[in-house]
Amino acid sequence: MIRLAAAFALLAAPQFATVAFAQDFSTNSEARSWNLYAEVPALFEGKIIDVMCELTGDCPANCGDGERQLAILRSADDQIVMALKNNQAVFSGAVVDLLPYCGQTVTLDGLMIADKDFPIRNSYQVQRIKAADAEWATANQFTKVWAAENPDAKGKGPWFRRDPRINALIAADGYLGLGLEVDEAFKKYLFE
Amino acid sequence: MRRFIAAFMGLFALPALAAEGERITVTGEIIDTWCYYSGVMGGPDSVVGSAHHTCALWCSAAGIPIGLLAEDGTVYTILKLGAQDNATGGDTALRLASHTVTADGMFYARDGINYIIVEEVLEDFGIVNLTHEDYDVVPSFAIPEPKE
Repeated sequence: MIRLAAAFALLAAPQFATVAFAQDFSTNSEARSWNLYAEVPALFEGKIIDVMCELTGDCPANCGDGERQLAILRSADDQIVMALKNNQAVFSGAVVDLLPYCGQTVTLDGLMIADKDFPIRNSYQVQRIKAADAEWATANQFTKVWAAENPDAKGKGPWFRRDPRINALIAADGYLGLGLEVDEAFKKYLFE
Repeated sequence: MRRFIAAFMGLFALPALAAEGERITVTGEIIDTWCYYSGVMGGPDSVVGSAHHTCALWCSAAGIPIGLLAEDGTVYTILKLGAQDNATGGDTALRLASHTVTADGMFYARDGINYIIVEEVLEDFGIVNLTHEDYDVVPSFAIPEPKE
Protein backbone atom coordinates (compact mmCIF):
# COMPACT_ATOMS: atom_id res chain seq x y z
CA MET A 1 0.00 0.00 0.00
CA ILE A 2 2.81 2.41 0.89
CA ARG A 3 4.68 1.52 -2.32
CA LEU A 4 1.50 2.11 -4.35
CA ALA A 5 0.93 5.48 -2.68
CA ALA A 6 4.55 6.48 -3.36
CA ALA A 7 4.25 5.49 -7.02
CA PHE A 8 1.11 7.59 -7.47
CA ALA A 9 2.71 10.49 -5.65
CA LEU A 10 5.71 10.37 -8.01
CA LEU A 11 3.42 10.26 -11.03
CA ALA A 12 1.36 13.14 -9.74
CA ALA A 13 4.22 15.37 -8.62
CA PRO A 14 5.17 17.06 -11.92
CA GLN A 15 1.56 17.91 -12.65
CA PHE A 16 1.03 19.57 -9.29
CA ALA A 17 4.37 21.32 -9.50
CA THR A 18 3.16 23.13 -12.63
CA VAL A 19 -0.09 24.09 -10.96
CA ALA A 20 1.40 25.27 -7.71
CA PHE A 21 4.61 26.97 -8.83
CA ALA A 22 5.45 29.17 -11.79
CA GLN A 23 8.41 27.76 -13.66
CA ASP A 24 11.40 29.85 -14.63
CA PHE A 25 11.68 30.08 -18.43
CA SER A 26 14.21 32.92 -18.46
CA THR A 27 17.29 30.76 -19.15
CA ASN A 28 18.83 31.65 -22.55
CA SER A 29 16.17 34.27 -23.24
CA GLU A 30 17.41 37.31 -25.14
CA ALA A 31 14.14 39.19 -24.81
CA ARG A 32 14.46 42.96 -24.82
CA SER A 33 13.08 44.76 -21.80
CA TRP A 34 10.04 46.99 -22.30
CA ASN A 35 10.42 48.32 -18.76
CA LEU A 36 7.11 46.79 -17.76
CA TYR A 37 6.61 46.49 -14.01
CA ALA A 38 5.93 42.75 -14.07
CA GLU A 39 7.89 41.55 -17.11
CA VAL A 40 9.91 38.35 -16.96
CA PRO A 41 12.00 37.14 -19.94
CA ALA A 42 10.70 33.79 -21.15
CA LEU A 43 12.02 31.43 -23.81
CA PHE A 44 10.15 28.18 -24.29
CA GLU A 45 8.88 25.65 -26.79
CA GLY A 46 5.22 25.15 -27.60
CA LYS A 47 2.56 24.42 -30.17
CA ILE A 48 0.70 27.32 -31.80
CA ILE A 49 -3.02 26.79 -31.17
CA ASP A 50 -6.41 28.37 -31.77
CA VAL A 51 -7.60 28.94 -28.19
CA MET A 52 -11.30 28.49 -28.93
CA CYS A 53 -10.54 25.21 -30.69
CA GLU A 54 -8.48 24.02 -27.72
CA LEU A 55 -11.27 24.82 -25.25
CA THR A 56 -14.38 23.85 -27.20
CA GLY A 57 -13.35 21.43 -29.95
CA ASP A 58 -14.70 23.84 -32.61
CA CYS A 59 -11.70 23.84 -34.91
CA PRO A 60 -11.76 25.58 -38.31
CA ALA A 61 -8.88 25.02 -40.74
CA ASN A 62 -5.59 26.87 -40.23
CA CYS A 63 -6.44 28.11 -36.72
CA GLY A 64 -9.29 30.21 -38.15
CA ASP A 65 -7.12 31.94 -40.78
CA GLY A 66 -6.55 34.98 -38.57
CA GLU A 67 -10.13 35.18 -37.34
CA ARG A 68 -9.33 33.67 -33.94
CA GLN A 69 -7.08 34.44 -31.00
CA LEU A 70 -3.95 32.30 -30.97
CA ALA A 71 -1.90 31.01 -28.08
CA ILE A 72 0.95 28.69 -27.28
CA LEU A 73 0.43 25.28 -25.71
CA ARG A 74 3.71 25.16 -23.78
CA SER A 75 5.51 21.85 -24.15
CA ALA A 76 7.08 21.86 -20.68
CA ASP A 77 3.83 21.89 -18.72
CA ASP A 78 0.94 21.71 -21.23
CA GLN A 79 -0.30 25.15 -20.17
CA ILE A 80 -1.97 27.65 -22.48
CA VAL A 81 0.04 30.87 -22.79
CA MET A 82 -1.99 33.73 -24.28
CA ALA A 83 -0.13 35.75 -26.90
CA LEU A 84 -1.33 39.28 -26.19
CA LYS A 85 1.28 41.35 -28.00
CA ASN A 86 3.89 41.22 -30.72
CA ASN A 87 7.25 43.03 -30.80
CA GLN A 88 6.09 46.29 -32.41
CA ALA A 89 5.40 49.39 -30.34
CA VAL A 90 2.29 50.20 -32.36
CA PHE A 91 -0.56 48.69 -30.27
CA SER A 92 -0.41 45.43 -32.23
CA GLY A 93 -1.29 41.87 -31.30
CA ALA A 94 0.54 38.68 -32.24
CA VAL A 95 -2.01 36.78 -34.34
CA VAL A 96 -0.46 37.67 -37.71
CA ASP A 97 2.98 36.66 -36.41
CA LEU A 98 1.84 33.30 -35.04
CA LEU A 99 -0.59 32.29 -37.78
CA PRO A 100 2.07 30.95 -40.20
CA TYR A 101 3.03 28.47 -37.48
CA CYS A 102 -0.49 27.16 -36.74
CA GLY A 103 -0.23 23.62 -35.41
CA GLN A 104 3.57 23.67 -35.40
CA THR A 105 5.80 23.32 -32.40
CA VAL A 106 8.12 26.32 -32.30
CA THR A 107 10.44 28.11 -29.89
CA LEU A 108 9.41 31.57 -28.72
CA ASP A 109 11.25 34.32 -26.93
CA GLY A 110 9.61 37.29 -25.25
CA LEU A 111 8.28 38.71 -22.03
CA MET A 112 5.88 37.00 -19.66
CA ILE A 113 3.73 39.34 -17.58
CA ALA A 114 3.60 37.80 -14.13
CA ASP A 115 2.26 39.40 -10.98
CA LYS A 116 1.11 37.22 -8.12
CA ASP A 117 -0.79 40.16 -6.60
CA PHE A 118 -2.79 40.86 -9.76
CA PRO A 119 -4.90 38.34 -11.64
CA ILE A 120 -2.38 37.77 -14.41
CA ARG A 121 -1.07 34.41 -15.52
CA ASN A 122 0.39 33.09 -18.73
CA SER A 123 0.11 36.42 -20.59
CA TYR A 124 2.92 36.90 -23.08
CA GLN A 125 4.54 39.38 -25.44
CA VAL A 126 6.10 37.51 -28.37
CA GLN A 127 9.35 39.06 -29.58
CA ARG A 128 10.71 36.32 -31.87
CA ILE A 129 9.80 32.87 -33.15
CA LYS A 130 11.95 29.99 -34.33
CA ALA A 131 10.60 27.02 -36.27
CA ALA A 132 12.66 23.83 -36.44
CA ASP A 133 15.92 24.61 -38.28
CA ALA A 134 14.84 28.05 -39.49
CA GLU A 135 16.40 31.31 -38.32
CA TRP A 136 14.69 33.38 -35.65
CA ALA A 137 11.89 35.52 -37.07
CA THR A 138 11.07 38.81 -35.35
CA ALA A 139 7.40 39.19 -34.44
CA ASN A 140 6.86 42.41 -36.34
CA GLN A 141 4.50 41.52 -39.18
CA PHE A 142 1.42 43.50 -38.16
CA THR A 143 2.14 46.73 -39.99
CA LYS A 144 3.03 44.91 -43.22
CA VAL A 145 -0.21 42.94 -43.12
CA TRP A 146 -2.22 46.06 -42.23
CA ALA A 147 -0.68 47.98 -45.16
CA ALA A 148 -1.52 45.17 -47.56
CA GLU A 149 -5.11 45.06 -46.30
CA ASN A 150 -5.53 48.85 -46.43
CA PRO A 151 -3.98 49.97 -49.73
CA ASP A 152 -6.09 53.14 -49.78
CA ALA A 153 -4.89 54.28 -46.36
CA LYS A 154 -1.48 55.42 -47.51
CA GLY A 155 -0.05 58.61 -46.12
CA LYS A 156 2.03 60.06 -43.35
CA GLY A 157 1.85 58.92 -39.76
CA PRO A 158 1.48 55.55 -38.08
CA TRP A 159 -1.16 53.04 -39.12
CA PHE A 160 -3.44 53.87 -36.18
CA ARG A 161 -3.85 57.45 -37.40
CA ARG A 162 -4.79 56.22 -40.89
CA ASP A 163 -6.99 53.21 -40.19
CA PRO A 164 -10.37 53.82 -41.89
CA ARG A 165 -12.50 51.97 -39.31
CA ILE A 166 -10.87 53.73 -36.35
CA ASN A 167 -11.13 57.12 -38.01
CA ALA A 168 -14.81 56.56 -38.81
CA LEU A 169 -15.58 55.74 -35.18
CA ILE A 170 -13.63 58.74 -33.88
CA ALA A 171 -15.39 60.98 -36.41
CA ALA A 172 -18.74 59.74 -35.15
CA ASP A 173 -18.17 59.44 -31.38
CA GLY A 174 -15.00 61.40 -30.63
CA TYR A 175 -11.72 60.36 -29.04
CA LEU A 176 -13.41 59.73 -25.69
CA GLY A 177 -16.27 57.82 -27.31
CA LEU A 178 -18.79 60.07 -25.56
CA GLY A 179 -19.97 62.11 -28.54
CA LEU A 180 -18.58 65.07 -30.42
CA GLU A 181 -19.92 67.71 -28.04
CA VAL A 182 -18.15 66.20 -25.02
CA ASP A 183 -15.04 65.71 -27.14
CA GLU A 184 -14.87 69.35 -28.24
CA ALA A 185 -15.26 70.61 -24.67
CA PHE A 186 -12.57 68.22 -23.48
CA LYS A 187 -10.16 69.25 -26.23
CA LYS A 188 -10.64 72.90 -25.23
CA TYR A 189 -9.75 71.99 -21.64
CA LEU A 190 -6.80 69.90 -22.79
CA PHE A 191 -5.18 72.23 -25.30
CA GLU A 192 -6.28 75.79 -24.47
CA MET B 1 -8.16 0.49 -2.12
CA ARG B 2 -10.52 1.30 -5.01
CA ARG B 3 -11.41 4.57 -3.28
CA PHE B 4 -7.70 5.39 -2.95
CA ILE B 5 -7.05 4.82 -6.66
CA ALA B 6 -10.23 6.69 -7.61
CA ALA B 7 -9.12 9.66 -5.53
CA PHE B 8 -5.79 9.83 -7.37
CA MET B 9 -7.46 9.40 -10.75
CA GLY B 10 -9.78 12.26 -9.83
CA LEU B 11 -6.77 14.46 -9.13
CA PHE B 12 -5.33 13.61 -12.56
CA ALA B 13 -8.62 14.64 -14.14
CA LEU B 14 -8.60 18.18 -12.68
CA PRO B 15 -7.32 20.09 -15.74
CA ALA B 16 -9.87 18.46 -18.04
CA LEU B 17 -12.71 19.38 -15.71
CA ALA B 18 -11.48 22.97 -15.50
CA ALA B 19 -11.83 23.35 -19.26
CA GLU B 20 -15.50 22.41 -19.37
CA GLY B 21 -17.77 25.31 -20.20
CA GLU B 22 -20.45 26.87 -18.05
CA ARG B 23 -23.18 29.25 -19.19
CA ILE B 24 -22.89 32.64 -17.49
CA THR B 25 -24.24 36.17 -17.72
CA VAL B 26 -21.72 38.87 -16.82
CA THR B 27 -21.85 42.65 -16.68
CA GLY B 28 -18.59 44.48 -17.23
CA GLU B 29 -16.50 46.78 -19.38
CA ILE B 30 -14.89 45.67 -22.62
CA ILE B 31 -11.19 46.42 -22.15
CA ASP B 32 -7.84 46.08 -23.86
CA THR B 33 -6.07 43.23 -22.05
CA TRP B 34 -2.48 44.19 -22.91
CA CYS B 35 -2.63 47.69 -21.46
CA TYR B 36 -4.60 46.43 -18.46
CA TYR B 37 -2.19 43.60 -17.62
CA SER B 38 1.16 45.04 -18.64
CA GLY B 39 0.96 48.47 -17.05
CA VAL B 40 2.60 49.87 -20.19
CA MET B 41 0.40 52.98 -20.09
CA GLY B 42 -0.09 53.26 -16.34
CA GLY B 43 -2.09 51.65 -13.56
CA PRO B 44 -5.17 49.55 -14.25
CA ASP B 45 -7.64 52.30 -13.35
CA SER B 46 -6.17 54.60 -16.00
CA VAL B 47 -6.38 52.17 -18.93
CA VAL B 48 -10.12 51.65 -18.90
CA GLY B 49 -13.09 53.85 -19.72
CA SER B 50 -13.19 57.11 -21.65
CA ALA B 51 -9.56 58.15 -20.97
CA HIS B 52 -8.31 55.06 -22.76
CA HIS B 53 -11.03 54.73 -25.39
CA THR B 54 -8.94 55.71 -28.41
CA CYS B 55 -6.11 53.38 -27.36
CA ALA B 56 -8.67 50.60 -26.86
CA LEU B 57 -9.77 51.12 -30.48
CA TRP B 58 -6.18 50.94 -31.70
CA CYS B 59 -5.39 47.78 -29.74
CA SER B 60 -8.60 45.99 -30.69
CA ALA B 61 -8.20 46.83 -34.38
CA ALA B 62 -4.64 45.51 -34.26
CA GLY B 63 -5.59 42.15 -32.81
CA ILE B 64 -4.77 42.46 -29.12
CA PRO B 65 -7.27 40.30 -27.22
CA ILE B 66 -10.13 42.17 -25.62
CA GLY B 67 -11.45 41.30 -22.18
CA LEU B 68 -14.58 41.73 -20.15
CA LEU B 69 -13.72 43.37 -16.82
CA ALA B 70 -16.53 42.32 -14.50
CA GLU B 71 -17.76 44.37 -11.59
CA ASP B 72 -15.95 42.03 -9.14
CA GLY B 73 -12.59 42.61 -10.87
CA THR B 74 -12.51 39.32 -12.78
CA VAL B 75 -11.21 39.62 -16.34
CA TYR B 76 -12.63 37.28 -18.96
CA THR B 77 -10.68 37.05 -22.21
CA ILE B 78 -13.30 37.33 -24.96
CA LEU B 79 -12.79 34.71 -27.67
CA LYS B 80 -15.99 35.42 -29.60
CA LEU B 81 -18.39 38.34 -29.52
CA GLY B 82 -21.87 37.60 -30.77
CA ALA B 83 -22.11 36.54 -34.38
CA GLN B 84 -18.50 37.37 -35.16
CA ASP B 85 -16.06 34.51 -34.83
CA ASN B 86 -13.26 37.00 -34.29
CA ALA B 87 -13.92 38.91 -31.09
CA THR B 88 -10.83 41.01 -31.50
CA GLY B 89 -10.52 43.34 -34.44
CA GLY B 90 -14.08 42.72 -35.59
CA ASP B 91 -16.53 45.57 -36.14
CA THR B 92 -18.60 44.60 -33.08
CA ALA B 93 -15.53 44.68 -30.84
CA LEU B 94 -14.60 48.12 -32.14
CA ARG B 95 -18.13 49.46 -31.71
CA LEU B 96 -18.24 48.18 -28.12
CA ALA B 97 -14.72 49.23 -27.05
CA SER B 98 -14.83 50.70 -23.52
CA HIS B 99 -18.59 50.07 -23.30
CA THR B 100 -20.12 48.42 -20.28
CA VAL B 101 -22.28 45.52 -21.43
CA THR B 102 -24.20 42.60 -20.08
CA ALA B 103 -23.07 39.52 -21.97
CA ASP B 104 -24.38 35.99 -22.07
CA GLY B 105 -22.05 33.21 -23.05
CA MET B 106 -19.95 30.19 -22.22
CA PHE B 107 -17.28 30.51 -19.55
CA TYR B 108 -14.08 28.47 -19.53
CA ALA B 109 -11.14 28.58 -17.13
CA ARG B 110 -7.78 27.04 -17.82
CA ASP B 111 -4.26 27.57 -16.52
CA GLY B 112 -5.21 30.68 -14.57
CA ILE B 113 -7.00 32.47 -17.42
CA ASN B 114 -10.76 33.02 -17.64
CA TYR B 115 -12.36 32.97 -21.08
CA ILE B 116 -15.82 33.83 -22.33
CA ILE B 117 -17.38 33.00 -25.67
CA VAL B 118 -20.12 35.63 -25.86
CA GLU B 119 -23.22 34.33 -27.57
CA GLU B 120 -25.21 37.54 -27.16
CA VAL B 121 -24.75 41.04 -25.80
CA LEU B 122 -27.96 41.42 -23.84
CA GLU B 123 -27.54 45.12 -23.01
CA ASP B 124 -25.13 47.87 -24.03
CA PHE B 125 -24.86 50.66 -21.46
CA GLY B 126 -22.38 52.65 -23.54
CA ILE B 127 -19.25 54.22 -22.02
CA VAL B 128 -20.12 54.86 -18.39
CA ASN B 129 -16.61 54.76 -16.89
CA LEU B 130 -15.65 58.43 -17.24
CA THR B 131 -11.98 58.05 -16.45
CA HIS B 132 -10.98 61.13 -18.48
CA GLU B 133 -12.21 63.18 -15.53
CA ASP B 134 -9.32 61.76 -13.45
CA TYR B 135 -6.68 60.78 -16.01
CA ASP B 136 -7.32 63.08 -19.00
CA VAL B 137 -6.31 60.86 -21.91
CA VAL B 138 -4.10 57.74 -21.88
CA PRO B 139 -1.70 57.71 -23.65
CA SER B 140 -1.32 61.46 -23.64
CA PHE B 141 -0.85 61.61 -27.44
CA ALA B 142 -4.09 59.76 -28.19
CA ILE B 143 -5.79 63.05 -29.05
CA PRO B 144 -3.59 64.95 -31.49
CA GLU B 145 -3.01 68.55 -30.60
CA PRO B 146 -4.82 70.85 -33.06
CA LYS B 147 -2.49 72.51 -35.56
CA GLU B 148 -2.25 76.31 -35.38
